[in-house]
Amino acid sequence: MTPRERVVKFLNGEPVDRPPVFSGMGNVIRPVLDKYGIVFSRVHRDPAAMAKAAAGMYKDFGFECAVVPFDLAVEAEAIGSVVNYYDDVDSLLYPTIKEKCVKTIDDIKIPADLSKAGRIPVVCEAIRLLRKELGDEVAIGTYILGPFTLMGQLKELDELLEESFIEPEKTNEMLTMASDVIIKVLKLYHDAGADYLTVREMGATSDVMSPNSFRSLVKPHLQRIHAAIPRPNILHICGNTNYIIKDMHECGANAVSVDHKNCVPESRQKLGDKAIILSGFDPVKVLMQGKPGKIGPAAREMIPGASAVWPGCDIWPEIPGENMRELVGALKE
Amino acid sequence: MKLVQVAGYLGSGKTTLILSLVKELATRGRKVAVLVNDVGEVPVDGQVMEKYGLTVKDIGGGCICCQVAGNMRATLNNLARNQKPDIVIIEPTGMAVPSAIRDGATIDPKFDSLNHGPTIVLFDTTRAEKFLTYETLERLVNTQLKDADIVALSKTDSASPEKVEYARSGVLKINPKARIVMLATKTGEGVPELAAAALGEGV
Repeated sequence: MTPRERVVKFLNGEPVDRPPVFSGMGNVIRPVLDKYGIVFSRVHRDPAAMAKAAAGMYKDFGFECAVVPFDLAVEAEAIGSVVNYYDDVDSLLYPTIKEKCVKTIDDIKIPADLSKAGRIPVVCEAIRLLRKELGDEVAIGTYILGPFTLMGQLKELDELLEESFIEPEKTNEMLTMASDVIIKVLKLYHDAGADYLTVREMGATSDVMSPNSFRSLVKPHLQRIHAAIPRPNILHICGNTNYIIKDMHECGANAVSVDHKNCVPESRQKLGDKAIILSGFDPVKVLMQGKPGKIGPAAREMIPGASAVWPGCDIWPEIPGENMRELVGALKE
Repeated sequence: MKLVQVAGYLGSGKTTLILSLVKELATRGRKVAVLVNDVGEVPVDGQVMEKYGLTVKDIGGGCICCQVAGNMRATLNNLARNQKPDIVIIEPTGMAVPSAIRDGATIDPKFDSLNHGPTIVLFDTTRAEKFLTYETLERLVNTQLKDADIVALSKTDSASPEKVEYARSGVLKINPKARIVMLATKTGEGVPELAAAALGEGV
């Protein structure tokens, strides 16, 4: 079974020889960047470098996927928010939004042709290059922010929450616009060759949003998105998500992904045997701060109740290469 | 290096308090750096930065996902290596979970050690009713207040005494252990007390 077959069959609920060792979120580390002479602040705008870096995680570390992009600002930038790439900073920093483009609904201007907007064509080209380089051997993954989190890259999320109480119809309309973008962009990524798609709705974590608000404000949009996008796909939300785990499951993704703050055995109890639950370990504590010999046991602690274990968030690029090797080896066992 | 967090809902007065704290701490001889979610939004001009030796760094907006936490750690390491401030004040976004910021803040021991100072959460008394009654805000407000060591009741000079008392009792119902500080940055009320708390005095 090739890593690609393993990932796709696993997500489709078909039998596999073992759970895949992969991620649906950003993962690139410095040894790969250094090996191919890639500067992190520039990789986000260079499809060849992006593909080379993503492929390196399989080629050099045996991670059974190649995932692009690496940052969380692609779609917001395509709509009009301004991104800081930290070109002049010595240390490795992720791009962030430095200027949000939306105050009211009238400010939202969705480009007519998203395939040419911002860095969306860069990500599409990186996916095509990955397919060319890796053939059918490795699963190519991509991700996008969920509608609420994407809106948070366009306008202040606390304003949005407040407005949702006063003018729910307007908020709903904004989230519909964001959902339309998500559906269109994920179709573009899929057409370019992506095998699986992750929707990351971390802004709607139960830590800051009540279950009732999630149900009325966000869930209907996630249901529409997962019904419209190619499969297999995954819905990821951070935090203690057992408050909304059934709602997450009802959004219709092939799999739900949770992070280390969530009790997975309880999720399993709530969702039953058939649901595919991806249990996210803490990539900072396990991979970055973990000492050699402790990485495997720490990741394996997340196995009870899980269909597979994967990083519950992006892997910080400064983790030691040997930690990544130990993780992949331990999970493949 | 000591880390002090100033959290709170959008518009609660975080930036204004931070600028007052910077001045207060500078007059007490402390070197301060500020990490904000967006440098562009901080009205700090060059003169203020030069006069108070202030360093301001952007850690990026949005929720405190791994990428923002990673940027924060990288920036803390850079500060420890280069500017060596006594106190770093973090101003996260209005949606941030203070305990997540605290957990995510680490520093490489080869540069310095990190001491956690108080988490100060601002609560705007002029909008107390909204924060204590809107269902959509309940979770966010409760999470932030529960994570607070100190709740600074802000804009007390613009709210009636009844509103201030309503805010105080509402906050204490959510976090009975929180130390309450009355804050009116226009008059300076509360700023020396919060600066002392940031320095670990009188806590």
